[in-house]
Amino acid sequence: MTNQLFIVIKDTFLSQFKSRGYWMLVISPLIFAALAGAVIFGITKMQGNTTPNIAVVGNQEVRSILVQSEKELDIHVSNITNEKKANTALQNEKLDGVLTVNKNEATITTQPKSEQIPKEKITAILGNLSRSQKATQYGLTAEQTADLVQPYNLKSVVKQAKQSTNSGNTESANQLIASAIGIITIIIVMWYTSMIANAIANEKSSRIMEILLAATSARVQYFGKIIGIFALVTTHLLIYVIAGFTTFNFFKENSFVKGLASNLNGVTLSFIIYAVIFVLVSVALYLVLTSMIASLINDNAQVQQAIQPISMIAMVGYVFSFIMTQMPNNLLIRILSYIPFASQSMMPIRLVTHTEGWPAAISALLIAVITLFLLLWFGQGIYARNVLSYSDEPIMKQLAARLRHK
Amino acid sequence: MIQLTNLNKTFGQNIAVSNMNMTLTEGKVMGLIGQNGAGKTTTFRMLLNFIKPTSGTITWNDQQITQNDKQRIGFLPEERGLYQKRTVEEQILYFAELHGMKRSDARVALKDWMKRLDVVGKVSDKVQSLSKGNAQKVQMIASLIFEPSLLILDEPFSGLDPVNTSLMMDEIIRLRDNGAMIIFSSHDMNNVTKISDDLTMLKRGKIVLQGPVQNIREQFGRTRVYVESSTSSAALKAIDGVASVTPHGVGYDLILSEEEAGHRVFDLVTKNGYIPAFSQQPPTLDDIFRQEVAIHD
Repeated sequence: MTNQLFIVIKDTFLSQFKSRGYWMLVISPLIFAALAGAVIFGITKMQGNTTPNIAVVGNQEVRSILVQSEKELDIHVSNITNEKKANTALQNEKLDGVLTVNKNEATITTQPKSEQIPKEKITAILGNLSRSQKATQYGLTAEQTADLVQPYNLKSVVKQAKQSTNSGNTESANQLIASAIGIITIIIVMWYTSMIANAIANEKSSRIMEILLAATSARVQYFGKIIGIFALVTTHLLIYVIAGFTTFNFFKENSFVKGLASNLNGVTLSFIIYAVIFVLVSVALYLVLTSMIASLINDNAQVQQAIQPISMIAMVGYVFSFIMTQMPNNLLIRILSYIPFASQSMMPIRLVTHTEGWPAAISALLIAVITLFLLLWFGQGIYARNVLSYSDEPIMKQLAARLRHK
Repeated sequence: MIQLTNLNKTFGQNIAVSNMNMTLTEGKVMGLIGQNGAGKTTTFRMLLNFIKPTSGTITWNDQQITQNDKQRIGFLPEERGLYQKRTVEEQILYFAELHGMKRSDARVALKDWMKRLDVVGKVSDKVQSLSKGNAQKVQMIASLIFEPSLLILDEPFSGLDPVNTSLMMDEIIRLRDNGAMIIFSSHDMNNVTKISDDLTMLKRGKIVLQGPVQNIREQFGRTRVYVESSTSSAALKAIDGVASVTPHGVGYDLILSEEEAGHRVFDLVTKNGYIPAFSQQPPTLDDIFRQEVAIHD
């Protein structure tokens, strides 16, 4: 039987893996991502040099400071220091702006086609300089001056039962991952529930199932299909991981990739492992549920009817994950965070936003794993009873009847 | 040997199979006949363990049929089905592997079967590209390639032309001669007569006739006569015990109400000496089938 199970798994996996449809499924998001990347790259290139060229007139000290801060401010300070020449150059669109510094005020003049000038950053530098000059006039020491211009530091700390975490470092990256989990799970569920439902419906409607069950048991077919399709899901994700890793290494010097990498710097390994396990367990749950429902299908035309309720269940967690951001302590939302089929879209987000701690997160995952095994066990009976019976009743009505007679 | 003992199957209030006893023996072909809904497919489904009997037992050499035993069962369902988008080789190797055959052996055997059944096409062809007849042959190969010990064929000849029917029959006989147990259903009594060693006739789930084909026919008496003679139809009809006379080619088919009437017919037609043909036979299975259906209605 173990050998037969392996044969069914291998056949389920290879028959899909070798199909054009599977590779379209794998490649189409990559093509989409590559196209989006190319468009962004193209737009950036077409924009050319976007660093604004600014002339600073009226105060040599300010000019020197801005020259030193060129990189930080992403500006270029022009050699022109004469106001008249500067205004002429601005008029001729040779400059993006002219910063005229007077005693207590400064004016920045631009033209309609000017590149974006970081006015807030320039204002901050001018403000610091002004405060420093005034402090000297008032006879303050260098330390007193430095202390005076020091900005007020507001730290963001989330207090948990046993520990405090500096949320600023990792929160945004982990939140990004958590939001991605919801979307990825939905997409994978849509793709693969449809795939397993079609595979079962095809074998049932064409009576191939009778030939298969003449040699094997319904149990072997049931587990073989689920494990085979699940192997495809993991292969699919693995392809993306390899593609992502290769692309990252290839473009690691690219500024966009660098920015993304610095954003993801704060992702914790424990959270990634938790999130991946949760996604895989949830996808497995949906595959088991689909197999049970698909065993009631008479022909391929009923596949959509079968997977529609499954898609709706998958959407519940996803929709509630958005509501959760507004009311994280709502009782219904707290309960849903532990309910399998919805928890994968909610609990990882609650974990990264520190609404829940690791004990709650592990509990939700354990509940999902236990439910998976219970559903697998329960589902094999449903599958065996229905996979060779044909009824004209609506699928959900049949399922309800079978559950009543379990 | 497979033994079906006191087998019953009911679906709610409907009795599908009632108190069935049947023995399948190695090297013998059992023909299972009956009208639609007589319980033939239900019997097959119980043999294949698709459904459990309501009561009674099915044993293979006095043991319950196990999952391992099922690997030795070949099954051709009434409604044929293959993976349309897969190649002939892909699906036959899959089915053969499920029946415990090595992939390499199955690959070699497939080429042999393709030749033997005269399948037009290559093993790399997708089933959807084959003609209906060739797809049916591929379906047969799927059931036979692993040389099953028990072969269950539900209407194996339906949809086949005479040439392919003959090819199929040859393979069934070859498997029987190699010691396989074979049970098949058919509505074509001519084919049943040709290849069945034993026969079971079902009527509303009950066995109404069972035994070796020739014995069953003999128990109805030799009541069919074919004669070629110059004797007139009216004279033949006037013989005591002749129920009907029907012209058939250059001769006549006579139905007798009793076997002994054959002597009287023979005496009359040979009164003037030599006649080219006289044959007294038991009724055909087709006649018996019609008769039994009429009796039990």
